[in-house]
Amino acid sequence: MEQPHPGCRGAEAVLNLQPSSSISVSYHPLFGPHDDLILLEVDEKLLPHVLHQRVTLRGQPDEDAVLCTPSKTYGIKFVGTSNSAFLIPPSGHSILCESSEDCNEKGHIQQASASVIKVALGSMELVEVAPRLDKLRLLLLENPYRSEEALKFEDLGGTENCKLYTWDDLVGKVQASDDELRTGLMALSAVEIDGYWRIVDEEYMDKILMALLPSSVLNDWSLNALNEDEVVSVLVKDGFPQKLAHHCLSVYGSKVDEGVDGSCLWRLDERRVCVHFAREILREGKRKMDSFMEEWKRRIPEGMQASFDMLEGEVLTEKLGVDLWVRAFSVSALPLTPAERFSVLFKERTKWEWKDLQPYIRDLKVPGLSLEGLLLKYTRRTQPTLEAEPIFSAR
Amino acid sequence: MKIEIKCNCNEETCPEWAIVELQGVVEAQPYFQDRLHNLEIGQLCRPSSLENYTFTVGYHELTGSKVPLKKPFLVLKKKKITNVEQSSESDPPGTELEVVGIIRHRILFKTRPKALISKPQPIVKERATATGSSAPVE
Repeated sequence: MEQPHPGCRGAEAVLNLQPSSSISVSYHPLFGPHDDLILLEVDEKLLPHVLHQRVTLRGQPDEDAVLCTPSKTYGIKFVGTSNSAFLIPPSGHSILCESSEDCNEKGHIQQASASVIKVALGSMELVEVAPRLDKLRLLLLENPYRSEEALKFEDLGGTENCKLYTWDDLVGKVQASDDELRTGLMALSAVEIDGYWRIVDEEYMDKILMALLPSSVLNDWSLNALNEDEVVSVLVKDGFPQKLAHHCLSVYGSKVDEGVDGSCLWRLDERRVCVHFAREILREGKRKMDSFMEEWKRRIPEGMQASFDMLEGEVLTEKLGVDLWVRAFSVSALPLTPAERFSVLFKERTKWEWKDLQPYIRDLKVPGLSLEGLLLKYTRRTQPTLEAEPIFSAR
Repeated sequence: MKIEIKCNCNEETCPEWAIVELQGVVEAQPYFQDRLHNLEIGQLCRPSSLENYTFTVGYHELTGSKVPLKKPFLVLKKKKITNVEQSSESDPPGTELEVVGIIRHRILFKTRPKALISKPQPIVKERATATGSSAPVE
């Protein structure tokens, strides 16, 4: 920082103006529009993140930029003012006072003074927003990892005409903080393969699981304590890439124990495995409830109990004539922005009972808006009698 | 695209800027319109030990006070990134933002100006909200 020039005192002179004294406020020798100077309103909570260089602006040229801290995303809006806000930099500000001569070239500023560098027309405000993760799913669905690819040689891995995204690519394209992006990738069960983040095609995941389950029977493994090394090596022998074999464990199971020798034990998650089989059965279309339940129970591995509750947010039932039918309708395939989510839901059904609707909206997260708030905003609630279940329809 | 916000200062040393804010606009007389640099806008005076201020612009006097900002402003400066190796693959010539200052207070004049009668020829005249074109804004 340069020495404060006696004739060019800035913000300090204004902020520390002593009682019974005055200073001259004048236009700075470099006064101008200075469009490159921006005021950003930041609350005390965010301030340390900015000052410690933990924030970035993210967005494509056609998107409204967002500001991301390591864990949160903020929308940015310009708030104009009709007031004149004279912006006064500190004296000897290195960026503005490039040559100290600027400050006293016209010798007439002798007294204490402060110089206005620009008139600010407004400032940028930050509003916490939900990360824009729909785009993440769209990007990764451009090119899911399929079995054909697993059969190819590694380096042929679809680099020519299909798009693949590294972490850095995603950070540049998806408007979300790093934490939110990581959570989003987890929610999509994405996996990093050769440096690229991928969604694995469900049919391929089915193949791996269908190789794992019989092996567990053959080798007398407990589904509650699968040894990672053993499982992975068997699956690799069956022709699955190691990374995918490992991914299968993390999609359908959870780590229960880290052994002393560095090997890990995994427990297959009953719900996730059962849901997988339900989805497989309903992949071809809707089924009568009875036959669906029968086949479902038959297909799930021994020792696991299928219960229809597990399928909340995965299937819808409907009565056609005397029969009850069930079909796939997964919340994981629905848009993540509330307006689009409700629009899809009400296209699916014009009226929803709360118990049916809840699994399809409980994951919606909008900063500053509760689930009740969302319902008020996007639905009309009717309740014929006090005892009756409320019904939700489109607004 | 990712734009970094750089900061070479920390919370204690971030240079503090000031804002003097008044309603309406200050307009220089035609002769000075294109020679504003170094031109005096007015005299800022703190008559007592209170945080009350007057701002005398031409023959108008404004009365106001120093108010802390509920949320501080950071002054950011947009810069073109010059070093090539840093900017990533496909992105067009990058920009970055640098924190160059922080604003925690402003001296706000939200009243209409009072006319001062005996004053020498002003060099700047003010056209504030008194013209009636817009309602006073908070």
